[in-house]
Amino acid sequence: MSWGVVYYRTRAGVVPAHEFLLACPTGVRAKLLAVIEVVRAAPPPAFSGGGKWEAMHGKMSGYYEIRCTGPGRRHYRLYCVLDNGSPKGLAERGFEVPQIAVINGLVKPNATLFTDAEYARHVRKLGDDYRGTLPRLIAS
Amino acid sequence: MTGTTFHDRFLTGQLADSEFRAEFERERREIEAVDAIVGALEGLRDERGLSKAELARQIGKNPASVRRTLTAPGNPELRTIIAMADALGAEIKIVRQRRPAVRQAA
Repeated sequence: MSWGVVYYRTRAGVVPAHEFLLACPTGVRAKLLAVIEVVRAAPPPAFSGGGKWEAMHGKMSGYYEIRCTGPGRRHYRLYCVLDNGSPKGLAERGFEVPQIAVINGLVKPNATLFTDAEYARHVRKLGDDYRGTLPRLIAS
Repeated sequence: MTGTTFHDRFLTGQLADSEFRAEFERERREIEAVDAIVGALEGLRDERGLSKAELARQIGKNPASVRRTLTAPGNPELRTIIAMADALGAEIKIVRQRRPAVRQAA
């Protein structure tokens, strides 16, 4: 079954991942979208993404991170969740097929870490809103 | 859903930019090549009924290193790939692409 790709949209109509991607350098944006397309063509549990699509752990369990290094060794990260379920469950979410839901992106200088507060504010809060809403809040 | 979703329209628009398209296609080829190699090694390992730890023992590598190579090989070490292929009765080959080679500007 082929998967789709959707982008989380806030209640205010903002699409954080889209804004993040548009703000990335062209090469970075191309790399991040290439990973999404490869994973979409061969979604989990198949191995895909060339190691650039990684399952996260701990408090970020359930999220997937696409990793890319850009100019100035800045690290660009795009956060996604897999939205899969029974045909009835998918229909309730507004989908016909499973989706890779792109939530938001973050960027950091080389040799630094994101704090849990950053993950909570910029990723989990949005992901919770996405997963807690039926039908899903997505860009259209 | 082809060509009608937000993502498809976004990607189609981006692909109209030649710089984006070149990088997108290069990246996709690279990822697909890594996926093909890792997928083939995983297939052979499965066919032989070897656990990742057993494969690691056979090639004298740390099990974590083999597990990482087979699950999240961001930049897999060539020697590990070659050793794993050898232990699984396979070999890595470079073959010419059918498309013309990409030439870098001087």
